[in-house]
Order: sequence, then structure tokens, then C-alpha cells
Amino acid sequence: MTATIIDGKAFAEKVRGQVAAHVARLKADHGITPGLAVVLVGEDPASQVYVRSKGKQTVEVGMASFEHKLPADTAEADLVALVQRLNADPEVHGILVQLPLPSHLNSDLVINTIDPAKDVDGFHISNVGLLGTGQKAMVPCTPLGCLMLLRDHLGSLSGLNAVVVGRSNIVGKPMAQLLLGDSCTVTIAHSRTKDLPAVCRAADILVAAVGRPEMVKGDWVKPGATVIDVGINRVERDGKTKLVGDVDFASAAAVAGAITPVPGGVGPMTIACLLANTLTACCRANGLAEPEGLTA
Amino acid sequence: MTATIIDGKAIAARFLAGAAAEAAALAAEGWAPRLVSISVGDVAAAELYVRNQSRQAAAAGVAFEARNYPAGISLEQLTGVLAGLNADPRVNGIIIQRPLPAHIPVKALQKAVHPLKDVEGMHPASIGNIVYNDLALGPCTAVAAVEILKTLPLSVQGLDVTVIGHSEIVGKPIAFLMMGLGATVTVCHHMTRQVAVHSRRADAVFVAVGKPGLVTGEMLKPGAALIDIGINRVEDRTVGDADFASCAEVAGWITPVPGGVGPVTVATLMKNAVLATRMQMTHYRQAFAAAE
Repeated sequence: MTATIIDGKAFAEKVRGQVAAHVARLKADHGITPGLAVVLVGEDPASQVYVRSKGKQTVEVGMASFEHKLPADTAEADLVALVQRLNADPEVHGILVQLPLPSHLNSDLVINTIDPAKDVDGFHISNVGLLGTGQKAMVPCTPLGCLMLLRDHLGSLSGLNAVVVGRSNIVGKPMAQLLLGDSCTVTIAHSRTKDLPAVCRAADILVAAVGRPEMVKGDWVKPGATVIDVGINRVERDGKTKLVGDVDFASAAAVAGAITPVPGGVGPMTIACLLANTLTACCRANGLAEPEGLTA
Repeated sequence: MTATIIDGKAIAARFLAGAAAEAAALAAEGWAPRLVSISVGDVAAAELYVRNQSRQAAAAGVAFEARNYPAGISLEQLTGVLAGLNADPRVNGIIIQRPLPAHIPVKALQKAVHPLKDVEGMHPASIGNIVYNDLALGPCTAVAAVEILKTLPLSVQGLDVTVIGHSEIVGKPIAFLMMGLGATVTVCHHMTRQVAVHSRRADAVFVAVGKPGLVTGEMLKPGAALIDIGINRVEDRTVGDADFASCAEVAGWITPVPGGVGPVTVATLMKNAVLATRMQMTHYRQAFAAAE
């Protein structure tokens, strides 16, 4: 094993510490408390766990947390009306509608009802376009977390070859935009890519976000490359359930220069970045300087 | 010389004929498409474009009004003008000619155009739709370049594509359009260490940088398609970003400059104009059906 293990848990804690320090200063200097509203529709157990965890961490960094739990049979018009109320609420700087929504609700419509300036998930079509055109946007949390880890580990990313495996709207595509923004040469590979191992082997930075357990093998990795594993897959191993990434950790770690583990790599960064985005939204809403090091 | 030279004018003529038929159908329903072009200050700089667009609009049966505002107009006054055009049902598309005076940020104007009238495909929502693989009104040059590639006998699924240049209006949207079609896309730019390493692997190369002679034959894989989006003035001649002579020796297909992407871009603007008009008609009827 040669690779440095990138400790996402420790780094996320550092990010939360920076957010908390900013929040304390906002309160002391301006009397402003950033607020995050989370909307949960229905009783999906995984979503409930996320929402609880988000609420807890929001309060821990000194922000106001507003939780709105609606029954699974909520009408679309009522959900839209709630989002519009939150848009108008000056105490709320970030709005997150927990996905997936029950199937009778149109997620696109609901997400695009959120004021883009409060869209801390970065899923509003305007934020997607702003990111795509290199303008100030709210950036999706998971790729923002990956970018922070990469910058922390590598310093400047300029001129490096980056390969993103996976072209999802919430990870692959925004990740590619962020890497382009940091002047990487970016290849977006996916299930249709010819000779995927060869494409991956060209990468100084390899980001795997496909949702297929241990797909990326050690011999797909260029020696010394930095490997970011976004996948979180549940697999049965020896009769027990285990979490693994999209990268075959053991073989990749023998070749890579640095690698994120699963769990404990990218995962913890997502909520930390949600808090960072809420802080950023609050600063922008109040015409204050954006928190350094916590934005794209 | 091995490459087939792609006839942009012929593709443009097909697009314009299609747009003209659609414009006539819309006019029959009371929705004759109409574009308004806005230029600010120095007319000469944008004049060539405006004249060309006006001529193509006539060919496509699209009404075209060119407006010029004085260089001293404020951003607030201009966004006010745009708000008026957004609200006017007789206006179906708004074109903002560049260059603009330094005190008018182009992005602020592009954002002020209603997304349903954004025939240039420059509003963040239009770009966002492309990223999400839901193309309606796309940026004309990028869409034109991709449409040209689609006319070639190549399967786009899994095609290795290299885009040289990552501008917001050309390079990046091409990358996302091609990715949406199933290609494996690599985006190179001025910080890329060895462009040739990437371009030589590609079945199709798009170049949009604005540097004459940037792509040479030895940077291409034999038989690859080369779509040249550059328009550069060199000693009174218009040339692209590719060294045409050496690239034509190696490529399978190549777009000439002029006569390649350029005419298809203007034709795409007209396609967008009729599409925007149809979208507005549908939107209007949905919103006011009860009142009719």
C-alpha cells in the first residue's frame, strides 16, 4: 500500500469548524444568523436519517435549522406554497427539499420553485446554467466537497488531466464543470466509453461516480494519481452488509498517490458543504464577502 | 487531399427551408415569428452580423427588426427595454449584438431576456437545460457545430470527442451536447499540457479558440472529423483555427472556413426563432386557454 489515505471525516470537521467560526463572526459583527430550511415529504427511512443528521449539524455550527415535515400525500400545490413562503422568509438563507419526493410530486417543478439564491443543493436549472457558464452559482454539495479535498491535497489543479467516470446531473456533470473551472483538462467517461480502463489510466485525477461497486480496478489507475471515490454501494460480503465505493480500494491504493476511502472519504464532506453553501448564500444575501476557501 | 469537405452552406439551406415551412405554419395560426436585434453604440462593429442575420431571417420567413441604442444608455435603461420586449407578444426572440460598451455587462443582459425568447441560447436556464440533456433553445454556434457532426455517417454513441477551447458559449456547450448524445468528451484549453495527446485519440475534434493554425494535420487521427469553429482575419483572408491544408490530408471530414460552421450558425438562429415562437404559442394557449 503506497497511497495516502485522504481523510474526509477529518477534513469535513475542519470545514465545519471554519463554517462555525464564520457564523460566530456574522452573529457578533452583523447580528445575522444563517438559517437552513429542510423540507421532508413522506417517511422514507433513509431520508429521515439524512434530515436528522443535517438538522443536528446545522445547529452545531450555530445556524438556525427549520425542519418542515409533510405527510407523504401532500399536494403539489401545498409543497410549492411552502417553498414560496420559505423563499420570502428573510430568516431562511438556504432551502433544501429532500429527494426523492413521492412519485405524485414533480421534483423538477418543486426544485425550480426554490429561489436560485437559496438553492443550497445547486439543483435549480439556473444554478446549473450559471455553473455551466462560469458564473457565481450555488454548487452541488458532493462535487464541491470533492473539489475541496482535491485542492487541499494537490494545491493547484491547473493543467492536470482529470477523468470523471459517470455523467449524473448531481455529481459527474457539475464535477466536470468545477474541474474545468480549476483549469484541468477534463474527460467525462461513462458506460458507453470505449476502453474505459485506458481512459482512466490517462488521469492525474480520477473521480469515480457511477454507483457500481468496485468497478475501477488498480490497473485502471495511473501510478501516483489522486483517486476520489464518490460511490457508496451496499454489498453482501461473508454474510454481512458492507459499504464499498466504485473503486476497488485494495488494488487501487497500491498504485494511486492518494485515495479517498469509503466510508470516511467523500461522504462526510457532503453535509459540511451544505453548511458551507448555506453560509455562502447568507453572505451573498447580505452583501457581505463570501467565506474564503468554502466556495468553488 | 483525403478529407471530404463539409458543405456548411448546403446544410444551412436545408435548415432555413425547414424553418421557413415552420414559420409559415406558425403565421397561419396568427403567430408569425419576429426577431428584434439590439445593438448599442458603434453600429459598424456589429453591422456585418446584423445585415447577415436580417438576410437569413428574410429567407426563413422571420420578421427582423434591428434596433440601435446610443452608447451612453445605462444598464437599467437597457434592461427596461428588454422587460418591454419580454412582455410584448409580438416579439418572439431577442438578439443582443456584441460588442457592447464596457459599462454594459453582456451577462446581465442575457439574463434579462426571457428564457422563452432566448433565441441565442445564452440565458443560464437555457445552458442549464443543455447540461441536463434537455435541449430546447441552445447557443447557436455550439448547436450548429454539433448538428454538422450529426450529418456525418458516424455513430455518436461512444465516439471519442475532443473539444479544444472551453468558452462558455461554444466549447462547454458542445461538450455537454456531445456527452448527452453518448460521446466520451475531453475538454482541452490554454492550460492543457499536450493538446495533441488528446486530439490524436479523438474520432471527432471541435476547435473553437480563435488562433489560426492551432490544429495541424499531425494532431489528428487519420479519418477523424474536424469541425473548425474559429473565424480569424489573416491578411485580409478569413481562416479558421485549423491549418486547413495539412488537416485535410489526414482528416476524414473537415469544415472549411468560411462556408462551414458560420452559415449553419445563422440558420440555427432561425431554427431557434421558430422554435421559440412555437413554445410561446403553446405557453400562451396553456395560460389563457380558459379565457379564449
